[in-house]
Amino acid sequence: MRHLSDQEIIDSVRKGNSSDYSIIVNRYKNKAFSILKRMLKNQFDAEEVLQDCFLKAYRSLNAFKGDSKFSTWFYRIVYNSALTKLTSQKRRTESEMTSVEDHFNLESEYNSYEFEKKDVKELIHETISKLPEKYSAIITMFYLNEMTIDEISQVMGITISNVKVMLHRSRNALRDLILRTNLTEEII
Amino acid sequence: MIQITDEILNRYLDGDLNFEEVKQVRSALANSDELQKKFSALKLVHDRLSAYKEDEVSPDFTNKLMKQIVTRSIVPKQQKYFIASIVTFIALLCLVIFGFSISAMISATSSATSNSQTVFDAVASLSEGLVRTLQQLFSGARLSIIGSIFSLIILISGYFFFEMQKRAKAHLSNGQRL
Repeated sequence: MRHLSDQEIIDSVRKGNSSDYSIIVNRYKNKAFSILKRMLKNQFDAEEVLQDCFLKAYRSLNAFKGDSKFSTWFYRIVYNSALTKLTSQKRRTESEMTSVEDHFNLESEYNSYEFEKKDVKELIHETISKLPEKYSAIITMFYLNEMTIDEISQVMGITISNVKVMLHRSRNALRDLILRTNLTEEII
Repeated sequence: MIQITDEILNRYLDGDLNFEEVKQVRSALANSDELQKKFSALKLVHDRLSAYKEDEVSPDFTNKLMKQIVTRSIVPKQQKYFIASIVTFIALLCLVIFGFSISAMISATSSATSNSQTVFDAVASLSEGLVRTLQQLFSGARLSIIGSIFSLIILISGYFFFEMQKRAKAHLSNGQRL
């Protein structure tokens, strides 16, 4: 069976075949859910916001002009919805996320005893969810959704150099955490 | 000679450096165990993140979402049809009353119009008769009856409308709980 492009599916939905929207949903639900889960740090909230995002995108399909990829447009809705949710939860998103000059100390999150009990995979997995929301969103979009730096900058509305700085900073923080542990044996 | 910073190592990992810079980084890595260890740790993070698997939403997510999309598009349609049918019914009722008034007025003034000499006299006579008939229809006990019928219609349609909205809201909230 031929793989339909996003634009073909959208055209079909616009013509009234609303059930075709499920193809789009199935294509993006897990990737968008991964971003939301890491930003909101809560599975239930992530699923609720994801549902709203798909409904919002469905209602706004006519507004999608096709200037950018559908995925970029949709992830922008996802990202902005996550920010709105965080704001409504009165979390300190603004102070944590608006500046790339901010610092975060992941090492203080763990003690050496906890390090010994974990392997690299587990440690990285846990640590990503401890990164500030914007940083974990970048890591997820770059590695999991395999988005380019340019696409990420469009989704987040920040410059390419800022995306790079934040990506590097996140990786450095994870690296420093690994270097502090006995897990470095895996490296050599 | 460039200074090998964390930034440079990250750019080296991403393939963002030019040929000359790559050569310098390789040479620095070969000559420093500390730098080699740092880069290996960074590469380990990069590799592990690249092998990362996406999270999965609940299995019935798509079905519930699609149901909600269908429900949301059906509910306003139902309400539109309901309002249209009520408005049509009231309009028909008004037409019936108006028609009844006209027929009553024509029968009452038929003799007068046949004897009238000009068209203007006939029109004046007709309009006068219409006003009189309407006055008779909407006076005293008849007005109360017509008013009661209208009130009853509005009350019944209002009840069904709110019931419909209640059901629609219940459907939506059921659909939202994925």
